[in-house]
Amino acid sequence: MGINIEVHGLKLAYDAQPVLEETSFTVERGGLVALLGANGAGKSTLLRCISRILRPTSGSILLDGQGLEQFDSKEAARKMAVVPQETTADFDFTVEDIVMMGRFPYLGRFQKEEQKDREIVRRSMEMTGVSHLAERSIAALSGGEKQRVIMARAVCQQPEALLLDEPTANLDIGYQSMLLELAARLNREQKVTVIAAIHDINLAVHHFNRFILLSGGRVMAAGRAEEVITPENIRKSYGVPATTYRHPLHGVLQVSVVRGRTSEENLSGSGPAVHVIGGGEEALPVLELLSQRGCRLSVGPVSAQDSGCRFAHFHSLPVVIVPPFTSMNGVHKEEHLKLMREADMVVVPPIPLGEGNLPVFEEVETALDEGKPVYIIDLAGVERRDYSGKARPLLESLVEKGAGVLETFDDLHETICPGGGKLNE
Amino acid sequence: MAGLVILLCAVAVNAMVWGSVSIGWRNVLVILLEALPFGLVFEGLEIRSVHEDILLQIRLPRVFLAAAVGSSLAVAGAVFQGLFRNPMADPYVIGISSGAALGAVFAMLSGFSLAVGGFGAVPLFAFGGGIITIMLVYSMARVGQAVPVMTLLLAGIAVSAFLSALVSLLTYFAGEKLHMVVFWMMGGLGGATWHQVRVMVPYALVGFICVSIFSRELNAMLLGEETASHLGVDTERVKKIMLAGSSLLVAAAVSTSGIIGFVGLVVPHFVRLVAGPDHRFLLPASALLGAVLLIATDTLARVVIAPSELPVGIITALIGAPMFVYLLKKRKKLRYFGGGG
Repeated sequence: MGINIEVHGLKLAYDAQPVLEETSFTVERGGLVALLGANGAGKSTLLRCISRILRPTSGSILLDGQGLEQFDSKEAARKMAVVPQETTADFDFTVEDIVMMGRFPYLGRFQKEEQKDREIVRRSMEMTGVSHLAERSIAALSGGEKQRVIMARAVCQQPEALLLDEPTANLDIGYQSMLLELAARLNREQKVTVIAAIHDINLAVHHFNRFILLSGGRVMAAGRAEEVITPENIRKSYGVPATTYRHPLHGVLQVSVVRGRTSEENLSGSGPAVHVIGGGEEALPVLELLSQRGCRLSVGPVSAQDSGCRFAHFHSLPVVIVPPFTSMNGVHKEEHLKLMREADMVVVPPIPLGEGNLPVFEEVETALDEGKPVYIIDLAGVERRDYSGKARPLLESLVEKGAGVLETFDDLHETICPGGGKLNE
Repeated sequence: MAGLVILLCAVAVNAMVWGSVSIGWRNVLVILLEALPFGLVFEGLEIRSVHEDILLQIRLPRVFLAAAVGSSLAVAGAVFQGLFRNPMADPYVIGISSGAALGAVFAMLSGFSLAVGGFGAVPLFAFGGGIITIMLVYSMARVGQAVPVMTLLLAGIAVSAFLSALVSLLTYFAGEKLHMVVFWMMGGLGGATWHQVRVMVPYALVGFICVSIFSRELNAMLLGEETASHLGVDTERVKKIMLAGSSLLVAAAVSTSGIIGFVGLVVPHFVRLVAGPDHRFLLPASALLGAVLLIATDTLARVVIAPSELPVGIITALIGAPMFVYLLKKRKKLRYFGGGG
């Protein structure tokens, strides 16, 4: 089972508006491919060409080396099944009726469904987990259930290739991964070639192992995630600045769109200069908020690989970096003090505190003594993130010396940018 | 299905019993059985030959014609509703009836005394008008190789409106023939002959076979043309055959009996409400129920103001509409045709 699909120099235009321009690629037998691209990049159009709904102006599509137009409708339907974004199912067909329609390409005009067909229907419904819905009307199902029924029909078609056109666009996250996992399972167990148009890149990388990125009707990149999903490619095809990172749990590549300012703006922001102590996930929202408010930021000290460090690098911010598994030395302290002196104020986010980073507060104290305003966020909850047992007295001593206390980081912009409550400027 | 067949027989016998001259049902059965070529002879019952004539020459052909016309309209309605995925579609939606009416009215007013195969100018022109209209609509809706159903529907509605205007125009100048024109448009089965039956039934059969062997395809088309074609349905071919088959049904029905409304709209809905949308059941069941409904209503049309009769279209709507509304309310299940809920 499984066929390979070659697309050569496909061209197609809707009313003189070109949608596909010289689109070419090959999907190997048993490939598990996600077709990525911005809205209007030609993903659906391309799939509709492969599924013979649209006829390209020029170019060719080959299934196992044979031209698509050489198959008659039923032959083609035995090779390929399609799961569309949405199926209008306003009719009172039962789920079983709908799945049975997947047997259509195998039945002669006057042939009745046989035991064998019913058995295949039963197994398809079992595999997609819709057996219990068999007698229900398709019109009464939820979007997620309906889509699984359509999937069951596709399985019932016993195809060698499965095309999915934004199959998860209307589903909640639970059904999204369930459906794509089903496609991946068909690929694994029955070697069905799968091509799915998906606009959610972060979802796609979890379930697929090959990617084709379309942009303006052309293939911009094809291959493994690392080759295709790069900030550069994302920026060019989706027109937004983006950053990629590894999923903290699964290690797959993820994409995040960067909001707001460019790095130049960050260096020359109109807001006050703020130094933020420490990194880690707790500091990130503070950094993000201050950055949105137009503050000129500096960060540190953070260890390399820390998310605060990545943030600083991404926005080209001044940062004190301590190599992993080492402690601060004199040079770091000097740098740190320098950054605080250059800033208008210092913010201490609710970071975890331990023997390793408490010495940082010696410099903070120095800065405070020199008259630099210091704000400590969430002093009340410090016990929860204190691994040394010494943090509270230390911070309270800073407060005695005049450091301000903020309940949550939301209070920051009141304090730091009074009147400057412009969101997402 | 068996129930429908029994109902059909009951209604048919009843139609032959009732009338301005009442013939007892025992007599009806005897006359019918004796007329069959088995040489059956029933002793003991005295049957007046005038009854035999009324039954065999007037009522029986009328029942057959009503059955043929009723089932043709119902099947064509089911096909159009399925093809267009639109509950408002009826056999006349894409203009066959307007074309036929224009043909018929033109024939009446011009006073052609044409006769081919034992038919006068009116049915011939009506049939021709219907077929020409559907071909015109089809060619107007064609986009390259394909005929999108929405375009077809809209083109049909536009052409239908245009032709109806022409019909009205002609009617306006109809003068003393106005009565004739209006009666034709209301539809009726008066004056049915065996000859009409002999011509009508083959058309109805051909049309019915045409559409019913594609019922599985029509089921798939209900899910949308793209889905159907993903399942291996050659949608353009199916559309062509469906249109040809149902046009034949409608044109034949309209040319023999004028424009009888409501049967083609309501009967398929009736069957869907009760038995679901599967065309493999829907088409034959609609055929039977269409026949039942038209025989029954035609009987009423003959009887209520006997010895003269009402146009049957009035009765179909008067009886069919409330029954349909009742069923809708009772089932409270409109979503079978995109009604939400």
